[in-house]
Amino acid sequence: MLLIYSCSEGIEVSQSSTVDAAVKSTSFDRDPFESNYKPLASERTLIKSVNLYDGLGNEFSNFDVLFDNGIIEEIGKDIVDGNATIIDAKGKWLTPGIIDIHSHMGVYPAPGVRTSSDGNEATSPITAEVWAEHSVWTQDPQFSLALKGGVTAFHVLPGSANLMGGRGATFKNIPRNTIHDMKFPGAPHSLKMACGENPKRVYGNRGSAPSTRMGNMAGYRKAWINASDYQRRKNEYTSKSDEAKELIDPPKRNLELDTLAGVLDGEILVQNHCYRADEMAMMIEMSKEFDYKITAFHHAVEAYKIADLLADEGICGALWADWWGFKHEAYDMVPANIAIVDQARGGKGCAIVHSDDEVGIQHLNQEAAKALSAGLRAGYEISKARAIKWITSNPAKAAGILDQTGTIEIGKDADLVIWSKNPFSVYALAEYVFIDGAEAFVRGEKQTQPVTDFDLGIINPSDERASL
Amino acid sequence: MKRLILFVVFLSFNLTANSILIKSGQIHDGQGDSFIGDILITDNKIVEVGKFLNSSSAKVIEARGKPVTPGLISPISNLGVVEINALDVTNDDEPDFFGPGFSVFNAFNPHSTLIPWNRSNGVTSSISTPGYSSHIFKGMGSFFLLDGNLEITGDPDVAMYSRIGATGGSRAETIQIMESMFELAKNKDGVELEDLLETTFASSLDMQLQDIEALARVVNKEIPLVLEVNRASDILQALRLKKEFDLDLVLMSVEEAPLVLDQILASGVSVIIDPMDNIPDSFDELASNIKLGGILSNAGIKVMFSTQRSHNYHLMRQGAGNAVAHGMTYQAGISGMTSIVADVFNIQDRGSIKEGYFADIVIWNEDPLEPSAYPTTVIINGSEISLETRASRLTERYTDKRDIPSSYKH
Repeated sequence: MLLIYSCSEGIEVSQSSTVDAAVKSTSFDRDPFESNYKPLASERTLIKSVNLYDGLGNEFSNFDVLFDNGIIEEIGKDIVDGNATIIDAKGKWLTPGIIDIHSHMGVYPAPGVRTSSDGNEATSPITAEVWAEHSVWTQDPQFSLALKGGVTAFHVLPGSANLMGGRGATFKNIPRNTIHDMKFPGAPHSLKMACGENPKRVYGNRGSAPSTRMGNMAGYRKAWINASDYQRRKNEYTSKSDEAKELIDPPKRNLELDTLAGVLDGEILVQNHCYRADEMAMMIEMSKEFDYKITAFHHAVEAYKIADLLADEGICGALWADWWGFKHEAYDMVPANIAIVDQARGGKGCAIVHSDDEVGIQHLNQEAAKALSAGLRAGYEISKARAIKWITSNPAKAAGILDQTGTIEIGKDADLVIWSKNPFSVYALAEYVFIDGAEAFVRGEKQTQPVTDFDLGIINPSDERASL
Repeated sequence: MKRLILFVVFLSFNLTANSILIKSGQIHDGQGDSFIGDILITDNKIVEVGKFLNSSSAKVIEARGKPVTPGLISPISNLGVVEINALDVTNDDEPDFFGPGFSVFNAFNPHSTLIPWNRSNGVTSSISTPGYSSHIFKGMGSFFLLDGNLEITGDPDVAMYSRIGATGGSRAETIQIMESMFELAKNKDGVELEDLLETTFASSLDMQLQDIEALARVVNKEIPLVLEVNRASDILQALRLKKEFDLDLVLMSVEEAPLVLDQILASGVSVIIDPMDNIPDSFDELASNIKLGGILSNAGIKVMFSTQRSHNYHLMRQGAGNAVAHGMTYQAGISGMTSIVADVFNIQDRGSIKEGYFADIVIWNEDPLEPSAYPTTVIINGSEISLETRASRLTERYTDKRDIPSSYKH
């Protein structure tokens, strides 16, 4: 019934569209694949006597947190509420839900086979027109593994083969059958850009541009020139009066330039894969040439070399704790990278621990522990309460969802994790993961753990893969 | 007898002896439960482990109750043979010509930047192995001490490497070829090796004299075969080959091992696993599970640790920590990085804190299975090793706030 209604509605729209075609072609639907996410059913819940890091840099002992209808209502000592389900979490730790700003789950799902490796449209160096969400396989078993690691939201990016690889999108980590049911409501898109070795290797090996770093720069700049021109023509048209619009054709839509114009308009956030300090500095100069903002440099093994510059420009570093050496531009790793970025200009830096990895995403708390330890060894004074921001509020900020999630504050989404021990310990396990106040994962409770279609009966027809 | 020899050594080198006394460490000796104790090192050996030890000439290191472990031994790495993975001119782990006869030994570079990095994180020795090969047998790995000396302390060709699993072709053919190569290497009729190479089978595989000789060491049980295998049915095939050809077999990866646990236990093989890899990366490893380490170890199978991350072999500590968090015993976590590796790969007198053993010892700031842990002292062959690395030099340079170009900060 619903299906028929939807279809007829679609036909109706297409008929009426002939009438106001001119208007429609410019005021097009900017997010035609918008979120249809609905939270799981939840109960009014009171977590009692928990130690917590709030994601704002504070630590509290023996605190209570009350949430209802998916929203945090009260935080404090000795909260009494007769209507709430009570979870006694004495001696345990509460953090905001973990957020990964760099994931390829869904676009590079498991098993990693050719037929579902859909993360890199490596057919042209500029593919700003592709959207990662159109590649995401919703039955990827990696989602539920990440959930067990406390991950409540993640940003899926296209790969780094291209200078401009396409749009990234953010998801709530509740595996569902359609990607629209998983998309984080209201989260902005990103544009994935890539510096350095990858684009020049991929295209250089084919004897086409770019084959050098200067070729990379020329490639981005050409694209931004086209985008600026597109934006100007679009703005010229939309600023005309209705009468004037009727006399001329609207500029033709271009998917690639829609994305780039979205960046120039500040609606799409730039997530820029870039390892070397000198290249990051060039990317910053280029962002000024074309008047756009870089939200985060990803991987950025050399971010520590320009930490002050990143802090001054308000650019986050989305980094690994210790990956290095797999390629030349990743050779100058220092384990204090994240801490140095965090502490730049007296603590004005924005450091993020990212995974880019299906195993790493399950242990971002451990990666943060390594980064913190290295920072302390390098002589910085950094609290665990601050370091938890690297995997909660800072990635939320870089994904443009900090208003909804990433901290434990009244009015925010109840995306929360109860850990068995201090989350900076290897022995800490996520016991409860709440997404919008609902139990998305409860350790030891089979019915509160998602099992994808892929997992079902694949080894033994009567069993589930993940339960072995 | 042993005591006597030590005594003589002690007397004759007394004036020049280099002695270190580690006081009051929480000693995880790689064998049993931990205990608070002292360790006396003279020259390159541990001469005494006990309580209230004294030495007038030894340099004293106060461990103050911090954990002390044997130096970690990476059972699989590319230390010294790969500098930057994606830069093939810095890689020496991939043969073009030899199959099983390939040896990485002569390529080992003690000046690789990976060596100070890994040993400053507690890895004091490793087995460096061949990388990708188009042959069914990739070649042999060698044991190396990570002291950085150009005079290499090591042991060439300690194990052979191969895998059974998904290929572009058929794994059935892989197994058939393996069987035929083992048969050939067994050389039951005692044919001259040159004549063996003339056979259609050997010549069609481009087998060289070195290949046959290396395989002969495997079928004669002189060195173990490390077989990477994941699917439950493939694990059973590997165990069948072990039985049929009487191999010293080590299984690697074994992500579906819990499905054939009894058979693995009965075969007596030991395993190398990455406990953190719970991803069903392929259709061979659908049963992948983070509890793997605990399941195997608690069943009585000897477990060693690998890590997916090249360059950071010390991260087997994080792997062991996760295994312990998911059911493995703490002691199995430590011995899987130390004594078990030494036992399985016949590394003599290393991997335990024991009198008469080489003094490869690490003192940690905290529980070494915590990701935040780091060594405060690393001793290799009785010498305290600098913890400086290229990374520590870069860190110093870029946390130096003087207003001069970084190129002048050194």
